[in-house]
Amino acid sequence: MKNIYLVPLILSIFSLAVIAIALQLDTSPEMIVGDSMQARSFPIFLMILKLILIGVLIFQFYKNNPKPVALEKYHTWGSMFLFLIFYLLTVYTDMFIGIFVVIFLMSILWGERRIWVAFLTATITPGMVFLLFDYVLKIRFPRGILMNLYYG
Amino acid sequence: MFEQAISAMASVVVDPYLLGLIFATTILGVIIGVLPGLGATTGAALLLPFTLTMDPVHAIAVLATIYVSATFAGSITAILINTPGTSAAAATTFDGYPLAQKGEAGRALGIAVISSTVGGIFSVLILCFAAPLLARVAYEFRSPEYFALTVFGLSMLASISAGGAVKNLIGGIFGVWLSTIGAERVTGIERFMFGNYELYEGLHFVPIFIGLFAISELLVQSKTVDKIVKTVSMKAVKLPTLEDYKKIWKTILRSCGIGTFIGVLPAEGATVASMIGYSEARRWSKNKKEFGKGSIEGIAGAEAANNAATGGAMVPTMVLGIPGSGTTAIILVGLMVHGLRPGVYLFTEQVEKVYQIFGSMFVANVMFMLMGLYAAKLFARVSLVPTQILWPIVFALSVIGAYAFQGQLLDVWLALIFGVIGFFARRHGFSVAPIAVGLILGEMVETNLQHSLKMFDGAWWMILTQPLALMFLVFAFLGLCGPMIFSWITKQKD
Repeated sequence: MKNIYLVPLILSIFSLAVIAIALQLDTSPEMIVGDSMQARSFPIFLMILKLILIGVLIFQFYKNNPKPVALEKYHTWGSMFLFLIFYLLTVYTDMFIGIFVVIFLMSILWGERRIWVAFLTATITPGMVFLLFDYVLKIRFPRGILMNLYYG
Repeated sequence: MFEQAISAMASVVVDPYLLGLIFATTILGVIIGVLPGLGATTGAALLLPFTLTMDPVHAIAVLATIYVSATFAGSITAILINTPGTSAAAATTFDGYPLAQKGEAGRALGIAVISSTVGGIFSVLILCFAAPLLARVAYEFRSPEYFALTVFGLSMLASISAGGAVKNLIGGIFGVWLSTIGAERVTGIERFMFGNYELYEGLHFVPIFIGLFAISELLVQSKTVDKIVKTVSMKAVKLPTLEDYKKIWKTILRSCGIGTFIGVLPAEGATVASMIGYSEARRWSKNKKEFGKGSIEGIAGAEAANNAATGGAMVPTMVLGIPGSGTTAIILVGLMVHGLRPGVYLFTEQVEKVYQIFGSMFVANVMFMLMGLYAAKLFARVSLVPTQILWPIVFALSVIGAYAFQGQLLDVWLALIFGVIGFFARRHGFSVAPIAVGLILGEMVETNLQHSLKMFDGAWWMILTQPLALMFLVFAFLGLCGPMIFSWITKQKD
């Protein structure tokens, strides 16, 4: 199978999965729903519509034979991996430690050769944003190592 | 009513805080507009959380100012570095950059500034008059009409600029499905929550939009880190001469009409408007050969149209709750977050606020003109900010913005997840704007369909007996199948 058909395949599996899950949803008594729809009806209707459109998309691909999408360089995949690191650091240490590490590593990953510039960006940005949200907008950030020190 | 509108609009000029806010936001909007990748939509998505604590009028004024100023500013980089700062300025590169290469960058920018300002002001004036009239018509709407109208809005997704019609519709349906996550409004049955009770009231728009527009753009920009940008030098912005005005005034007027009309159509926006404005300028021009080589009519046609679309796009957003573009989808969320319910109610109960918002847009158009004329050279330098510094900062603003909306980490994870989804969608030629519009319209479609079914005792076909609903459904059908039918008819004739 050609790579270009992977997207319609994934979309079809997704739509079928949604239909399968929707069919498991509870039904409401007639006296509540009346002449209207059950909660499952609308999502199922949407997914059927989507499956029809996926069929049209496959036909278009078959007719036009589009070029497969070229694979991205390491910058893109590395940035996504940094999102994962951000998640882990936020959950297990502190959101601002996560932001600092991600900004620093992302700058380096994207080609910043001056370590001190990456370090300053990673320090000043979260600092400024924190001051703005904490003092001006009065937002309380999630507790973590740094926030526990700050909030006490 | 008229006096009330005038005094509300005039109150913007005598409110120093609001004026200062518009001034600061215009600077920010122009900066956002000149930074390739950071368009009006991404800028508005990033700024939305900052507006949460503001007064409703100030908040919407900030978002609307970002919209108009960033739409204009995209032309600065389009002319000077052949890279449109926003997709709406793509048509400006066709003639703006060639003119700049001839050593007339200042003249090109001057034409762009004046055309954008005229387009923007024209559309605000139309907005002031058309919106209340449309609101009066909308007063007659009931559930079947609203259902048909939202179907029409969704059908227009097929013609959004990026992606193909089928891909856009798939994206729109995905967006509508996202709106079904959470407790169903009538029965309270939990749908697709998988035990996450934070999702009981459904997915919130703000983190999703930050993900779809800002995070996904970050990932898209990661592909361009090696790109080398060539700049064209410029001494100063030159105002158009009398000779220039004689050449472009008709083009500007035509593009004002085109842009406003395109903007009013649900789900259409500044990008489509500028493309049509440009092609119409070429079609009506006596100097067709100049196009693509630095025609001032080409610049004026594209720029007047894209800024005229901003006011036009606000009409369906504020009157019907149907966004006219990706950015107005965010403005619509801003309206809802601040308790300004779009629709008839807004134009009957909160007229003053509505006209203050219109007044703010008017002022923003004048401010970006001044900035364009006197500081374009300075702003052009901003576009040279290294991507390896800019986009990590956007990451920080995105995650904190997503968190600040409700103070929930779940929103941060949702923003990141939807950023990755948006990136993969764009990678395969799907635009993210239909997902956003689908998410907004989803609840309206389902709720109004439910109410209509109840109204007609389950007889869905009775919706077709309502004249206005039938009209919108016919429009929707023509929007979806019209191009195919017309091309078939043309083929048969040939």
